[in-house]
Amino acid sequence: MIAVALPSPGVILAGAVTAAAASLWLLLPRGAESRVARWLGSLLGAAALAGFVLTGRRLGGLGEEAVFLIVSLVAVISGAATIVSRSPVYSAIWFALALAGVSGVLLVLGAQFLGVATIVVYAGAILVMFLFVLMLAQPAGLAPYDRVSNEPLLSALAGATLLGLLTLSIGRLSADPSCCQMPSKAAAMAAGSAGKSGDDVQAGDAIDTAIATDPLAADQVARLGGELFGRHLLAVEAAGVLLLVALVGSIAVVSRHGDPSGELAPARRAAS
Amino acid sequence: MNLLPSLPTIVALVKIGLLIGGLMTAAAYLVLVERWMAAWVQDRKGPNRVGIPLTKVRLFGLGQPLADGLKIILKEDFTPKHVDKVLYTAAPLVILAASLAIFAAIPFGSSLPPIPALGLTGEEPLLVAPGLDVGVLWVFALSSIAVYGVLLGGWASNNKYGFLGGLRSSAQLVAYEIPLGLGLLGVVLAAGSLKLDTIMNAQASTGVWYAFAQPLGFLVFLVAAFAEAARLPFDLPEAEQELVGGYHTEYSGIKLLLFLVAEFLHMVTAAFLIVIMFLGGWHLWGVTGSGPVETWTVALLRFGVLSAKILGVILFFMLVRWSWPRFRFDQLMNLAWKVMLPLGLVNLVAVAAIEEFRPQLVAAVGEGTAKAAAIAIPWVVFFVGWIAAGMLTPSGTDNTPIRTHGPLDIEHELVEV
Repeated sequence: MIAVALPSPGVILAGAVTAAAASLWLLLPRGAESRVARWLGSLLGAAALAGFVLTGRRLGGLGEEAVFLIVSLVAVISGAATIVSRSPVYSAIWFALALAGVSGVLLVLGAQFLGVATIVVYAGAILVMFLFVLMLAQPAGLAPYDRVSNEPLLSALAGATLLGLLTLSIGRLSADPSCCQMPSKAAAMAAGSAGKSGDDVQAGDAIDTAIATDPLAADQVARLGGELFGRHLLAVEAAGVLLLVALVGSIAVVSRHGDPSGELAPARRAAS
Repeated sequence: MNLLPSLPTIVALVKIGLLIGGLMTAAAYLVLVERWMAAWVQDRKGPNRVGIPLTKVRLFGLGQPLADGLKIILKEDFTPKHVDKVLYTAAPLVILAASLAIFAAIPFGSSLPPIPALGLTGEEPLLVAPGLDVGVLWVFALSSIAVYGVLLGGWASNNKYGFLGGLRSSAQLVAYEIPLGLGLLGVVLAAGSLKLDTIMNAQASTGVWYAFAQPLGFLVFLVAAFAEAARLPFDLPEAEQELVGGYHTEYSGIKLLLFLVAEFLHMVTAAFLIVIMFLGGWHLWGVTGSGPVETWTVALLRFGVLSAKILGVILFFMLVRWSWPRFRFDQLMNLAWKVMLPLGLVNLVAVAAIEEFRPQLVAAVGEGTAKAAAIAIPWVVFFVGWIAAGMLTPSGTDNTPIRTHGPLDIEHELVEV
């Protein structure tokens, strides 16, 4: 309907990438504060977002699209706000919000376990530790070197270029019909029942593939677990050992702190 | 394009409305119950005067929640000059939103029989998000989001007491999430699902509540749930006597109300989880049956049993509040890391072993004996683990003050523990 008046997607994408780079450069903390730069940066950022939304692929229904748009905008805007915030505590909060947005995107796409695990692991544990340290470590304001970002121009350019390339390549991939098409369960079931007259094994395979790729199938956590502890068992075990080593290492570092003998300090021994 | 909401959407909205309305009303009246309980424990009368406004009818004080609510809402919503305004305002909203969103995955009954008149042809589960396959994790995730409210409230208040309360709270919640998770894991392992209604069904179909099959897990979970709800004896984040209310010291009016309601909802959530995961949910032997819901009688009976159990657990929470003194911070941390964490691990290993060898056990000694053994062995583990914890970590449970370092050292220790 409005597509008539718009330039080609490539032009929009190029414009959006440029606007994103300029907006990031204007917004990143560079020491000198200017109200005009912040306003201009925010406007350009909004324009870039609009460009990306326009070039993106449409999802299914109206409701799904609206929810996806909201959560993804939350994720992107909070992500940008994370790096342009002047206060580390605010950065951490924005990061938490970005994680909430990403988790929302995963939930919309049907990856329930990943969505919830993102919240549990990142927002619930790691970021709380960040906040804890930030609040304890900087009660008296910020050091000067914390108030500016390193190389704002180069990093804004690099980030925007990466963004453009990724959008382009993902757009090409998803335009290719042989890839990324999620077979709906109903279609696969139909294919399965159609194939029943001929090859039963193939029909069963079709249903299996459909269930394996349908993110909304009922027992997805069980299947994820089966996959992790079946095909990727070695990786899971290796990660477990790695974490254990890290844990032991950190305890060793703490207990030797200021005490070359490696013994616990007397006060600590009494406390424990 | 069809802009009218579909039937599942309407049903979900009705459920959300019922749940939020019910929770808020229940929270208001539970505050009254808590005050009655306090009065009973302390041998006084408690609130018994407010009845119907403008009349002299007293109704045992049942009008008290209304009066309390009106008073706190009409109070001046004062924002001190020295606070960080954005985060100061956001904190109570975050904590309340998170504690309400938890209930999306918590079933508040079994299910309703089909209602063909409304187009509901299947059983309608009393659960806002029945398609969520990761219910337990959802609850866990959102209760960890609630920490943000406390932490931000404490930090944004720009007040020593508030800040200390926020710090204590985050350390405590992060520490007790681990035993909480270990307690959950035992149940998840035994039921084979992360869905809370499946967990209830599993208990109903075998008739063995997980509190009996996993006593050690139940104990660990109960203690961790108290700590996560920040109820006495774990209320160090607030600690009126030392921190003047902790993270909500600087709050007043409606924002304070949001904090208090959220805190209360944490207790209600904990009660729901304890009942659903360990006390059989809606199941009661010989009363509710265990199959699908066919009649309204069964549906209402199950709802009633679940509600009664939850009320019972909440009353237990309230009674404990007036029975136990508050922990010291190092005792709190010792309890989490040196007692509850190992006990939780022992429970997990025991449950895993029993579930792994159950088929062999059934084949060797028969169905009945195997079932009895699967209950008896965890109780042995429970007593052995409990005695071992008591003997091996005396300093975690005794009450002797630490005299080897000065006040500054203690502060240092507290922060680092």
